[in-house]
Amino acid sequence: MKKRYAIGIDLNKCIGCHTCEIICKLENKVPISVWRIWVKEGLKGKFPLVRKAFLPVLCNHCENPTCVTVCPVKASIKREDGVVIVDPHRCIGCRYCMAACPYGMRHVNPLTGIVQKCDFCLHRIENNNQPACVLGCPAKAMVFGDLNDRNSEIYKFVIEKNVTVLKEDTGNHPQAFYAGLDFILADKKGMPE
Amino acid sequence: MDTMLTYNVPMQETFGVWIAVYFYLTGLSAGSFILSTLRYVFGFEQFKPLAKPGVVLAALLLILAPLALLIHAGQPMRAWHLFVFINPSSPLSWGSFLLTIYPIISIIYGYFMFKENKKWAKILGIIGIPSAIAVHGYTGFVLSVAKARALWATPIMPLLFLVSAIISGIAMMMIVNVIQGYFFSKERKINTDLLFTLGKMLIWIIVFDLFLVFCDVIAHYTGHKEGMEVVKHMFTGTFGFLFLFAEVFVGKIVPLVVFSVPRWRRTSVYVIMAVIIMIGIFIMRYNVVVGGEHIPIV
Repeated sequence: MKKRYAIGIDLNKCIGCHTCEIICKLENKVPISVWRIWVKEGLKGKFPLVRKAFLPVLCNHCENPTCVTVCPVKASIKREDGVVIVDPHRCIGCRYCMAACPYGMRHVNPLTGIVQKCDFCLHRIENNNQPACVLGCPAKAMVFGDLNDRNSEIYKFVIEKNVTVLKEDTGNHPQAFYAGLDFILADKKGMPE
Repeated sequence: MDTMLTYNVPMQETFGVWIAVYFYLTGLSAGSFILSTLRYVFGFEQFKPLAKPGVVLAALLLILAPLALLIHAGQPMRAWHLFVFINPSSPLSWGSFLLTIYPIISIIYGYFMFKENKKWAKILGIIGIPSAIAVHGYTGFVLSVAKARALWATPIMPLLFLVSAIISGIAMMMIVNVIQGYFFSKERKINTDLLFTLGKMLIWIIVFDLFLVFCDVIAHYTGHKEGMEVVKHMFTGTFGFLFLFAEVFVGKIVPLVVFSVPRWRRTSVYVIMAVIIMIGIFIMRYNVVVGGEHIPIV
């Protein structure tokens, strides 16, 4: 059966250790100053009632991706198994996909000039391994798998928990599911003051 | 709520200044092409002096404009991919063909014009007007299709771009008219009638442009959450200065007032206003492109 890869993140378990950021950089040789996954951090409330909130963000591998729609050379592709990838030999580096992505999850490689993005560690998942960020998460907050497989962890995650997605109103049908998402933190954008 | 962001990652620049320059150059090209067709297609004899410089500038600027794209692209040597791997859903893919066809049409049109072959010049002009509108209108679609940014993703964007293109084209033609009269005509006399006619044309087009900007701002202000953020961003800070003062006040309202007062009908005043309008339209492109992506989305 056709696969449909998706990722689930339980924010109640996330401890904000930034391991996913680092392990992704090591695994995919991501250039300096750009990230394919990062943890947004926020501070809610005032002392004594105060809590830190975390939100790891990565490419949502949308069902209806804007980046694939706008790529003028079809370098951005939605694979059969749901992974959105960039063909590094075809990309001309026009950055239109970066401008159009509602999640801002693409980066341009300063050395080669082409656009790169999270590909769910394609070299790992093709050999039935988990993506590096999922494997490295010490709190086991991240779940990866095939949504069409009813015995997979991600299927159970999506069914059992109250999940939501980021920017659902874009109509892109993102495939990164969050449990316990804090909309106040998701709404905060830009750099901290 | 007492919530603050304590860690986030800065966004990379996507469309920078070079894309704004590119939009500006295609706008100037489309505007001057449309003005040059006023005589050969629509038969307004008073615009005869503008026809030839108009078409030469239209072709030249449109040959220059893609250079800005090549500077912007990360892999400029792969530009031929645009003509081999075509994605019909991408405005940039339409643009790669428009940017090839339009200069060719305008060069053929210019050839017949310089040969004084009025019949073929008219036919080529009729083909050229839609292609001039398309070559600049598609740049509006480039932005309005990118749904990530609320400032760009409005249906009004292609129209807004076309109207401002015609404004900048007319302003450039005013300067061209003065240079032509002062340096290249036999009597060394500036065709002031034409200059003031162009000024009169500009009044109504600027009014229409201000109306479009007003519609855009009102729709954003009363619209969804991201639209409100856009208005806040464009009305305060650096972009507040660039948008409200430089683009709208100095670039549009001041020329509008000056052109409507008959007592200020002097060549020097009109030339200064034309330069101001051209700078104002460039600031408008900068505000839209760079200002649009300056609003954080993550």
